[in-house]
Amino acid sequence: MANAHTSTFSAFKATLKRDLLIAYKRKNDVVNPFMFFLIVASLFPIGVSPEPERLSLIAAGVLWISALLAALLAMDNLYRADYEDGSLEQLLLSPHPLFFMVLAKNIAHWLVSGLPVVLVSPLIAYMLSLPDGSYHVLFLSLLLGTPVFSLLGSIGVALTVGLGSRGLILAMITLPMSVPVLIAGTLAVQQTQNGASLLGFLAIMGAMLLFALTLAPLASAAALRISVN
Amino acid sequence: MWTWFHKLGSPKWFYDISGRWLPWLVACMAVCLVVGVIWSLLFVPQDYQQGLTNRIFYVHVPVASISLAFFPLMAIAGTVSLVWKMKLADVVVKVAAPLGAWFTALALASGSIWGIDTWGTFWVWDARLTSLLLQFFLLIGMISLRSALEDTDAAAKACALLSIVGTINMVVIKYSVLWWDVLHQPPTNFTVDNSQPNGPEIWIPLVIMFLGVYLFFVISLILSVRNEILRRERRAQWVSELAAQ
Repeated sequence: MANAHTSTFSAFKATLKRDLLIAYKRKNDVVNPFMFFLIVASLFPIGVSPEPERLSLIAAGVLWISALLAALLAMDNLYRADYEDGSLEQLLLSPHPLFFMVLAKNIAHWLVSGLPVVLVSPLIAYMLSLPDGSYHVLFLSLLLGTPVFSLLGSIGVALTVGLGSRGLILAMITLPMSVPVLIAGTLAVQQTQNGASLLGFLAIMGAMLLFALTLAPLASAAALRISVN
Repeated sequence: MWTWFHKLGSPKWFYDISGRWLPWLVACMAVCLVVGVIWSLLFVPQDYQQGLTNRIFYVHVPVASISLAFFPLMAIAGTVSLVWKMKLADVVVKVAAPLGAWFTALALASGSIWGIDTWGTFWVWDARLTSLLLQFFLLIGMISLRSALEDTDAAAKACALLSIVGTINMVVIKYSVLWWDVLHQPPTNFTVDNSQPNGPEIWIPLVIMFLGVYLFFVISLILSVRNEILRRERRAQWVSELAAQ
């Protein structure tokens, strides 16, 4: 139990550190979404066509959709274990604003499940013959976009954390809500190939990230209070 | 004003008053729909490009415009239910989701039927179609969340929250899909015909159809709210008295 002198910032740091430590100790949770991303992305050349010309047309979309599905798969770890062992209730009881605790958990979750996907994306993009000159666009847009997936998914997980069969419901809530990011990300790659300016797309995605960063933890916190009572 | 607001919180009061309104609403709807359907399907001059097919416009446009109202409606009802814990508001959030899914499906279906003849295909990834499709998915998600949560109180809060989040998200989706469509869509032969002179013989039946379809929406909402009230209040005395009659 936090004492009265603990500042919100140190509680934020403690939550972040705790979640990163747990992830470090349970490496499967870290590796699985990452492997899932690699597997889904490598199914497309097999399923669509191995020709570089065709692949280069769909490479950006394939990477974005694989990243979205990997984020969705990783979502379940976000509150599930804490809900089962009761530490989520402790978090709700803490005197600090739940907003920051949720934000810390979301950031830790993204660092563990989203960032590895972003880091490996240029390699997969090369295997999918993404045209030259699009790599930095893809990388930067994924860097701005995947945190939004985590933040939005957090709302869905928080709503469904107490349910038995939550996987499909989570997908049905989260996937339609992620469409704007998907659109912005794939358009950024396609349109910069046609000569559009990268900054405009980054600005839009940055705006989406800020919007999600300020509002989504509020909704997640409210959802957690509803789910855990 | 506040007494009215408090009365609205009482399911019994709503059940009584809506029972008195219903016959009038049904009568108005019947008049509007009969006049509107006959007028628009038989007597409106044919469109010079689209021929008879264009007449589905008189069904499609009112239905599509209603289906866009469901998320704002659920967000308002959800806010009322979260803030004032009003039972009736949660009933509206609950019944609006399946109703909204039906209206959205109807709008998509009537649009597709129109599209087969006009565009030559029943589906194109046009901005409006895509955002309606996503809205349909989100509504299905809301229905499944509601059915998965067993505790009524938790389900009420969760769905109210999701309807608010969903509405904000729907706005972002609408604009991003529009943006995507502008940048994405190769030129197609859309002829929504805004350029044509639309005389009174075109728009008066449309107004009548709008009235009829809106009344149909209000009546279906009231009927499903009444059913849900009876289901929830089945142990209340006034319901057993009603059933005994």
